[in-house]
Amino acid sequence: MDMAGQNSNNSSDFVRKLYKMLEDPSYSSVVRWGDDGDSFVVLENEKFTKHILPKHFKHSNFASFVRQLNKYDFHKVRQNNEDGQQSQYGPNAWEFKHPEFKANSKDTLDNIRRKAPAPRKQGQAQDGDLPIQQIDLMNQQMVAQAQQIQLLEASNHELRANHQTMVQELVRLHRTVLNHDKVMQDVMKYLNSVDAQQRRNSKALFPNTQENAAGTNLTPTSQNIGAADDEIPASPLQHAQQLMQEYNVDSQLNFTGFDPNYPQQGNGMRRGPGSAHSSVSVGYSKLNDGQLEQMVYPTGGNNGIDPMYSEHLPNIPYPMPGKEIDATELRTKYAETRKKSNYNDPGWIRNPRILLVEDDPTCRQIGAKFLHSFSCTIDTALDGLEAVNKIQEGAKYDMILMDIIMPNLDGVSACHIVRQFDRTPIVAMTSNIRQDDIQMYFQHGMDDVLPKPFTRKSLLDMLEKHLIGLKKLPAGMEPPPPHGVNPSMTTHSSGPSIRDDMSAAASPAGSTGTWNSPSQYSGVSPVAPGMPMQYPTYMDNNTAAYHQQQTSPMNPNRGMPPAPMPPQGITQQLMRGPSDMLPQDMKPAKRQRVSGTYGGPPMTARQQ
Amino acid sequence: MADAEEFDFGDNVDTATFEQILDMDDADEDDAHEFSKSIVFGFLDQADSTFAKMETSKYVRPDKSIHVVRTLIHYVLRKDKDLKELSSLGHFLKGSSATLGFTKVKDECEKIQHYGQKKDETGATDEPDEEKCLRLIGQSIAKAKTAYDEVKRLMEQYYAKLEGNA
Repeated sequence: MDMAGQNSNNSSDFVRKLYKMLEDPSYSSVVRWGDDGDSFVVLENEKFTKHILPKHFKHSNFASFVRQLNKYDFHKVRQNNEDGQQSQYGPNAWEFKHPEFKANSKDTLDNIRRKAPAPRKQGQAQDGDLPIQQIDLMNQQMVAQAQQIQLLEASNHELRANHQTMVQELVRLHRTVLNHDKVMQDVMKYLNSVDAQQRRNSKALFPNTQENAAGTNLTPTSQNIGAADDEIPASPLQHAQQLMQEYNVDSQLNFTGFDPNYPQQGNGMRRGPGSAHSSVSVGYSKLNDGQLEQMVYPTGGNNGIDPMYSEHLPNIPYPMPGKEIDATELRTKYAETRKKSNYNDPGWIRNPRILLVEDDPTCRQIGAKFLHSFSCTIDTALDGLEAVNKIQEGAKYDMILMDIIMPNLDGVSACHIVRQFDRTPIVAMTSNIRQDDIQMYFQHGMDDVLPKPFTRKSLLDMLEKHLIGLKKLPAGMEPPPPHGVNPSMTTHSSGPSIRDDMSAAASPAGSTGTWNSPSQYSGVSPVAPGMPMQYPTYMDNNTAAYHQQQTSPMNPNRGMPPAPMPPQGITQQLMRGPSDMLPQDMKPAKRQRVSGTYGGPPMTARQQ
Repeated sequence: MADAEEFDFGDNVDTATFEQILDMDDADEDDAHEFSKSIVFGFLDQADSTFAKMETSKYVRPDKSIHVVRTLIHYVLRKDKDLKELSSLGHFLKGSSATLGFTKVKDECEKIQHYGQKKDETGATDEPDEEKCLRLIGQSIAKAKTAYDEVKRLMEQYYAKLEGNA
């Protein structure tokens, strides 16, 4: 055993010593080559152990010597000949043999190797089988790994779907909070006026407590009317602060109401975006017309469209588009301006590029004709799938008009997908304009709703509202902008900046009688393709997990940066002055802080 | 330009909406009404085939004259799917008829859409009785077809008159 170290350095060291020893003729009476030269014989065991072993192998242990021989695959030649004779070398001789160990054959010594210690039972016969076994094993491992990869991919998909959901939820919550902010601003404004009034009359009046939400409708002189319900008389401003906190608690509740399992629940519409997304990742193989015909209306109307958590949503007031009103408006309009040339050029600085996504040929033709009459460049897509394909292939539009219920891919799902990489304004064109429908459109990233059946005027209004950056100012005919317009903001011409301009120009109080379009809020949204500087900053503030999400191979360009969800502190900061009122150059700084302090991504990371 | 207000569409057509389409006709072209005409008759063809699709769904209901058991099984499995499809078809036709101002057709199609969603005709309340929904859809399809026939007649008259004048 003590030779093991030496032998491991040169595997044939022991064998060479053995050979050398046998070459010494002076030992021939003790140990010598066998008669045939293919074995060696220890004739005098005792002498060999005492005198020769110590000389050559530095020990005097015959058993050890035999073990060593066995390790090198020498075998003792058995003496039990059939004729009962003793060995030819004498009764006490030990004869050892190895196929490669022969007298006068030094070259073959190198072939004698120490056996592998462990698999002693497996003879040389198994050596040939080993590679095949190994290959089998490797194959199995590869199959197992492939399965693991599949599992990982599946879970990756799931995570991505979850991520999208979270992003959506964050955007929605963002809107909720902003709506709350607006309400609070109103309350504060009103309370300030009440407070001033009260101070003037302080000697005569008790501290009044009518500041609930309905109180905003009361005139200052009717202060005491609503006071009965409030148990604690507080100064109006204190009460307002209490109100704010309540609102903030509401947002918190929304937050905890997040359901991470939400993509697994339900079916239909909700699953739509997720599954649609997976098809995006395989490149949206285009369907030919034949397939399109087979797949008429797989979306099944709006049956599956169940707006979730609508109880948490702010009420988005919108007018039911009265058809009578439209009709009368039209009549008057037509009475005044019967010539269509009045519509012909709404005064664009260039022709707006519109993508019209509509499966119904009648609506599509009429819509395209109307758009054409407004000097728009029109591209059409027959369903959401085609629309997504076009946008993915890099087609740039100033605005997308999107039908909701379409075969193959409905408008909401299409919008949801497009929103992963593009911020072009998307307007839902639909007759499904129940409040929860509309909330759902906004949740999935739509910017506005054009109720069907649209009229030329409603269509033009929508164009002018969202393409205000393309308007020549002052225009020949005054556009009816639904929001206050800051003329200095409207002279930009580059497409991506339109949204920012719009939101900058949008006055928070200017939404009288129109939808509370989320475009108003985009001022605080980190989604700003026109501001490339902002993006890296945003990234730096986020966790590695989010980076991975960002750089996942399916979304090579960029994911949709989640809208930050302002916490209580920020909410109050925001409340002081809406972001719309800030100077343009201050807004990025503000966003950074918001996203850095409490951005969506850390949340998302936690989800993963 | 011939004025749609001078032609009596009755309450079948919302004139203001329809005139928007007429206004899109380019009066300078040879075929002055090509655009609106192609839209209108395109719609009429489309509506015709949509009604046909609706009818095939409707007839899935059990009919004693054919093998009752087999039909019943088929029917139970298909009923829900049929309702959804009818709703989709109703929705589809509703959109285009509304855009053209074909009010009566639109109203019936809207009802079909709602019945197909197992709701009442306004879409406000649920109507869980599928059999009733299918029956109501049958009635609405009949009404929609009547309205459609009327619109078709009127449109053919109207364009004949327009082209006669031209």
